[in-house]
Amino acid sequence: MRLARYMGYRLVTALPVIFGIIVLNFLLIHLAPGDAASVLAGESGAATPEYMDALRHKFGLDQSLGMQFLTYVSNMAHFNLGYSYRNDADVSSLIFERLGPTSLLMLTAFGTAVALGIILGLVAATGRNSWRDNIISLISLVAYATPGFWLGLMMIVIFSIGLGWLPTSGFDTVGAGHEGWAEVWDVARHLVMPAVSLALFYLALYARLMRASVLEQTGMDYVTTARAKGQTERRIMTGHVLRNALLPIVTIAGVQAGNLIGGSIVVETVFGWPGIGTLAFNALQSRDLNLLLAIFFMSACLIVIINLAVDVIYVMLDPRMEI
Amino acid sequence: MVDHPPLNKISRRTALALPLGLAALSGTIFSNGFAKADEPVRGGTMVMIVQPEPSTLAHYAVTAGNIPPIATQIYEGLVTYDWDQNPQPNLATSWETAPDGKSITFKLREGVVFHNGKRFTSADVQFSVMEILKKYHPFAPLLLAELTGVDTPDEMTAVLRLANPAPYLMKGLAGRDLPIMCKSVFEGTQILQNASANKPIGTGPFKFGQWDRGQFVRLDRNDKYWKPGLPYLDHIIARFIPDAATRSAALETGEAHFAGYSAVNYADLARMKTNPILDTTMKGYEMTPALSVLELNAKHPPLDKKEVRQAIAYAIDRKVILRDVMYGYGKPATGPLSSLFKTVGFYTDDVRKYDVPDRLDIANKLLDGAGLPRGANGMRFGMHLEVNSFGEQWLRQAEYLKQALAIVGIDLTLRSEDTATWLRRVYTDYDYDINEPFLSQGVDPVYGLNKQYLTSQIRKGVTFVNDSFYANPEFDGILNEAMREQDHDKRAVLYKKAQQILAEDCPLVWLIDVQYVSVFNRKLRDHTTGPLGTQQAFERAWLET
Repeated sequence: MRLARYMGYRLVTALPVIFGIIVLNFLLIHLAPGDAASVLAGESGAATPEYMDALRHKFGLDQSLGMQFLTYVSNMAHFNLGYSYRNDADVSSLIFERLGPTSLLMLTAFGTAVALGIILGLVAATGRNSWRDNIISLISLVAYATPGFWLGLMMIVIFSIGLGWLPTSGFDTVGAGHEGWAEVWDVARHLVMPAVSLALFYLALYARLMRASVLEQTGMDYVTTARAKGQTERRIMTGHVLRNALLPIVTIAGVQAGNLIGGSIVVETVFGWPGIGTLAFNALQSRDLNLLLAIFFMSACLIVIINLAVDVIYVMLDPRMEI
Repeated sequence: MVDHPPLNKISRRTALALPLGLAALSGTIFSNGFAKADEPVRGGTMVMIVQPEPSTLAHYAVTAGNIPPIATQIYEGLVTYDWDQNPQPNLATSWETAPDGKSITFKLREGVVFHNGKRFTSADVQFSVMEILKKYHPFAPLLLAELTGVDTPDEMTAVLRLANPAPYLMKGLAGRDLPIMCKSVFEGTQILQNASANKPIGTGPFKFGQWDRGQFVRLDRNDKYWKPGLPYLDHIIARFIPDAATRSAALETGEAHFAGYSAVNYADLARMKTNPILDTTMKGYEMTPALSVLELNAKHPPLDKKEVRQAIAYAIDRKVILRDVMYGYGKPATGPLSSLFKTVGFYTDDVRKYDVPDRLDIANKLLDGAGLPRGANGMRFGMHLEVNSFGEQWLRQAEYLKQALAIVGIDLTLRSEDTATWLRRVYTDYDYDINEPFLSQGVDPVYGLNKQYLTSQIRKGVTFVNDSFYANPEFDGILNEAMREQDHDKRAVLYKKAQQILAEDCPLVWLIDVQYVSVFNRKLRDHTTGPLGTQQAFERAWLET
């Protein structure tokens, strides 16, 4: 009950934050020179002043900034994300189309990275300076230092061109008409390389963080106390050390989970994955303001929610914490 | 290089109505050099790479180069063109230009239906041309300027009425340039907000199927297509892969069959040529001429002096750009028109030549003569170069230009900005010295020359028009005369004169006559069947099984 009231309070106080973000985003975006009409006309190769005026009128760019802002805020208040004139489509449908593939990729990569990172970090810490610690540390160092796009391209060269095991790019085999499990298998085959190249960096990060965190906790007094009580090493590790060692991981993972909605432009570009990162990038390049603002807005909301979730997880992991 | 068919001397004014069979035959004879005498096979799905993903398929209102490869499968024009660039029957079966050149009468094809089941009639031609293209097509103020109306004496006749003769119009009637839409889809709606922008409805061999943004557009076979037995393919998938290396990989693994319009990096082409399943062709771009150029802002001294502009033109070694930036695809530009216009007799290289052995001496002499001596650091003056934002190769070209101009004492500072900022700086604020755009030249000299060099085309805020402030009344007169001259040979003489004047005045520096390349899987046959290449329908393309 107390938790529910706390969450309600946090969500209500988040509203002014989100409104502030909307205002700030709107103003920042209008500082960028050039507009959607000139980009569209530029791509067309030529246009008349009348044509460009017509475009600006259609895009609402001929209104004053204050007027544009009012229209925008009133749309947002009605949960209307607006219309992307460049794409001739509703912003909400453009984002919604990308949400599935983005979430699939990011959750797979992120989940793998967190889970494997924790396990590897634990394995490395429990056998400190042993061969398995050295191997894990070496691998995570290499993974940490390797740029994702290079790794992606190398995987394409090896697994697609060389061995022919995996498709180079895309979300599924277009026009193959797979259904049911065949489609799941097809998507999974397309998912492997982007997920791996995205996960590896985070995995290395979490493994190193977990290792350091576990080592720090094993030196604490409560561990000595537990050992004096006669608890087994396994029980000490799972019952005491692990819970405490996870706190920094949760903190960092919470911060990085904000990337979930933003996607990864680099990996999406290399593997032609239909994610939100490239959508946002293209929207910025073409000054498609409605679309860009909507993506910013969604990211802001998600980050508010994730922050709340992280605080709740803290409480669950560490009963000493109060809300 | 491109093999140019022999110059065709038949006057285009009195085009004959060719029976369909003959048109089909010419397509077969001239189909690409790799086609064997094998029988086409029905069925299959062709995957082509289109780069970058179009923002819309509103082919009638946006002319970005990535739209036609998809849109021309759906929308057709009144005519198509053979390899000699002569019009051939398509939606129109015959046409006749009036002796005074002020009207063109088209007889339309019976039995054509749009993808929504509506019958194609002259009302569709009238609506498409007058209500959509004339009002919203970006090129209309140039190409349709003389058009005053379309008469429809009967359902199968459409008469284009012109204020003045417009001989170039017969070159711009293909589906790429003058697509025919269905009147009932657009009538009574806001044209620019019409739903068919993303779900086009035309008469072409393929129907729009599905668009998964960020991934692909799927086109389905039009079973009711008016050419019997065609198309051969069941589906065409246009895939969008943002990364150049991955695009190449998709071709190398056989996931994609075709990549036109230089969707593959020039740097990768050498490797792809060694792949046994792939081949390349430079055909299919004969009606897509383009030049890379430098625009010089004559409002910024010393670029107002002709000698200085000429010196810059002399200082650049085009062969280096061709070799190091374009990987050998293209040829050094000799003047303001692409050499592709040789086919129709409008190109001349009988102009002031800038690629001469003693070009550096000439450049230095011109700059000395213009009163611009070298300073203590060896430099005469400094300038900014605006780097083209449409790809990495332009930065490489800019880096070479910096070196080349330093040799004659011009100190270039490179400025890279994103597309919106760059276009605004150059075409609205005019806050630039030298710009390095890439200019598409259209199907007739009218297009490329008029918009770039006429005094009337100095239009603030409009992209890719006369932003170098070139103003020469004599030249304007020649161009306006050539635009209306109905006699082909007289036109050619006028354009020769125009090219000579431009090369002498040097408002722009012409760098490379661009050559696009298509990469294709050898299993895909008969893909390039005319001079519009990727920008015309793949109705005859088929896949070996």
